Amino acid sequence: MAPRSIWNGTISLGTIAVPIKVHSATESKSVRFKQVHEPDGSRIEHKRVAHDGEEVPYDDIVKGYEVSEGEYVVLEKEEVDAAAGERSRLLDIEEFVDATEIDPVVFDRTYYLGSRDADDAYRLLHDALDRTGRAGIARWVFHNREYLVAIRSIGPVLAMHTMRFHDELVDPQELDIPSPQRKPTEREIKMAGTLIDTLHTDFDPEMLTDSYRDHVLDYLDKKRKGKAPKPKPAKPPEASDDLLAALEASLKNS
Amino acid sequence: MPRSLWSGSLSFGLVNVPVRLVSGARDLDLHFRQLREKDLTPIEVQRWCTKEEQQVPYEEIARLFEFDDGDTVVVTDDELESLEPERTRTIEIDAFVDLGDVDPIHFDHPYLLIPAGDDDGTLRAYRLLLDVMGTTDRAALGRFVMRTKEYRAIVRARDGALSLTTMLMHDEVRATKGIDSGTKGKAPKKQLDTALGLIEAMTVEWDPASYEDEYRARLLAVVDQKRKGKTITVPDQVDEPSPVPDLMAALRESLDAARGVSKQNDDELGGLTREELYERAQERDLPGRSSMSKKELIEALS
Repeated sequence: MAPRSIWNGTISLGTIAVPIKVHSATESKSVRFKQVHEPDGSRIEHKRVAHDGEEVPYDDIVKGYEVSEGEYVVLEKEEVDAAAGERSRLLDIEEFVDATEIDPVVFDRTYYLGSRDADDAYRLLHDALDRTGRAGIARWVFHNREYLVAIRSIGPVLAMHTMRFHDELVDPQELDIPSPQRKPTEREIKMAGTLIDTLHTDFDPEMLTDSYRDHVLDYLDKKRKGKAPKPKPAKPPEASDDLLAALEASLKNS
Repeated sequence: MPRSLWSGSLSFGLVNVPVRLVSGARDLDLHFRQLREKDLTPIEVQRWCTKEEQQVPYEEIARLFEFDDGDTVVVTDDELESLEPERTRTIEIDAFVDLGDVDPIHFDHPYLLIPAGDDDGTLRAYRLLLDVMGTTDRAALGRFVMRTKEYRAIVRARDGALSLTTMLMHDEVRATKGIDSGTKGKAPKKQLDTALGLIEAMTVEWDPASYEDEYRARLLAVVDQKRKGKTITVPDQVDEPSPVPDLMAALRESLDAARGVSKQNDDELGGLTREELYERAQERDLPGRSSMSKKELIEALS
């Protein structure tokens, strides 16, 4: 079963139109909890309260943008929608780039694009992207914000990654990471390189598994039966004093 | 210094590097506040206990898990973290992989790792990992627990720091099965060839800094207009274009248009002196530019 589509629109490329529907390509599998008050295990509810302590019903709440200390400009939903512009149902492909040139750190969420009505155009765009390894760059307005997106092929379908704008990423240079007084020696660099080679393996998505999730579920089951083990405190490992000795020992162990 | 979200040790073989994790992304969205309509004062969302009718401080919040049969059990964050005590304090690197082999669909949130403290041993070990990984396109695959959730993460060298990106687990990426992928079979060769030409004509070098969030600016403009008491009008939506009856004709038309644009760029370059062309080549760091003739520079730049 395909997941429900969350948005319908049209990719435009030159004069070619490819109507598509958007499906989420990912889903969280984290163990889900509800918030409770610890002493009595009763549920937590969220209340909207004004500064004078009055609880405010949802219908009496408006959304405002703070333009200066304490001064708010209230926008109605339609007014926020005005910012979406007139092309908000379109994914205009502005240009193409080599998909491998995009640093993966910019990718945010991924969606699959399903075909709507124009199967030939969909197939053509898919096959052309698949053949060239290129990604089409477009903008997507969704849930009151604009995303820069990369449209590419994944297997038999078109997929779309939302991307962070360049100013939304922290530049590592801003962090001013101090340099060591004594640089790593040639020998240390060579040994670390060897250690990396030894630990190198072909990537397989199956390596991305969560063992902790099972531990949590197992623990919850034990606790329900009244057999939960006592918590153990965590202790961080010691920093390596002698880098060379640690590298040598690691290589011996690998 | 940015706020630490996690601190512990990056462990690689028997080498341990004390590190702090900071966010690699910043939120630049415009945020709206919830206000009470009658006096436009901000609303605060409070947590209340449903049984005792009182506000609950954050420290007294626990987690309730519901089993399929409706049975429930309450646990605290401390209990959950104690299940894998080592992993809450260690990012353990268990493999190195080629970055290009990892599909970007798995990339989730970006963080940066910075050395914890300025002890020279820590700084040296951090620098060693950075230098060694910086010379290859290999990335380390690690595992750690943060705020009661386990993460798989890619650690690599990026612009002078160790960058850590959390990864979606294998089973968190949906299969493409069931997504409507159009007609069966391949696109006709003639159409595909023309489409490849169109993509070629529209391909540019990836330059993330050339894209700005225009929505943010438009939304700020709306706020500004409203503040000045102007009426905001929602623009009429441009109709979604209909699928074209003749795909081949549309392809040719689009290709001509795209080539026209790149031809214009060529003509523009033709009007520049060699010196001006050289400056542009320098900006783009084109190799071998100093020995190029004017004609070769135009070719390299277009």
